[in-house]
Amino acid sequence: MIGLQTVPLLWYQILAAVLFTIGVVGVLVRRSALIIFMSIELMLNAVNLSLIAFSRQHGDMDGHIIVFFVMAVAAAEVSVGLAILVAIFRNRETANVDDVHLLKG
Amino acid sequence: MLEPLLFAMFSGVAIGCALGVVFHKNSVHCALLLVGVLLSLAGIFILLHAQFVAALQVIVYAGAIMVLFLFVVMLLNVKGEVPLLTPGAAKGFGFFFALLILVELLWTVLSPGGQEGAPSEAVGLPRDFGSPAALGRLLYTTWLYPFEITSILLLVAVVGAVVLAKRKFF
Repeated sequence: MIGLQTVPLLWYQILAAVLFTIGVVGVLVRRSALIIFMSIELMLNAVNLSLIAFSRQHGDMDGHIIVFFVMAVAAAEVSVGLAILVAIFRNRETANVDDVHLLKG
Repeated sequence: MLEPLLFAMFSGVAIGCALGVVFHKNSVHCALLLVGVLLSLAGIFILLHAQFVAALQVIVYAGAIMVLFLFVVMLLNVKGEVPLLTPGAAKGFGFFFALLILVELLWTVLSPGGQEGAPSEAVGLPRDFGSPAALGRLLYTTWLYPFEITSILLLVAVVGAVVLAKRKFF
């Protein structure tokens, strides 16, 4: 048996909530598609932190596995998303999400 | 006594860098600040006895994903024609809804039911908690099918990225 925890679970959850909110602010108020992507990464990481903290509290490693999968999905999402971004930039010369409104009619 | 100190340090750096990611003008600086967030989160993972996940965080996130980001930032070479914040009323709405989400999340975490089901004191851990061996054992037994599906997902992502970035389709 190792390590008793001195920082309570609550603090980790609050930190995760704050980081997630900062990510939400980034997605809602920035217009550069790149920054929006980074903010999404921020939110994914906040959730990862929450999972790891719960995993520690329960002494159960399933949370680590879920974080592993989240990382794999994030890697896939980033590679495809950035490829889309490059394609958009090549065609429309912009990374501003407000300028991409072909479906608006 | 060291743990609260390290937690305060890492969380301070993480929140500061996260604010920098969202509000900095220069995209390259944003990407580098995001690396700061990811590294300090890796430190927090180590505090939580998740050594292997912390190593993955540094290698996969701070290494691979951020290099991809930096490449694209430099490839696109966007010259500040994107306004820093979204113009007009949408900005106010954005901050308002983000505040709403913060209140909701903190409400969930702080309410008496928020910690229900979790042990009030962190349980003692087995010696190999968070080690690659323990994680690998779980990954190749209980979680074998999700693991294999992940490999297919990554393959699809690779093919998708190559197809999308090819010039002749667009």
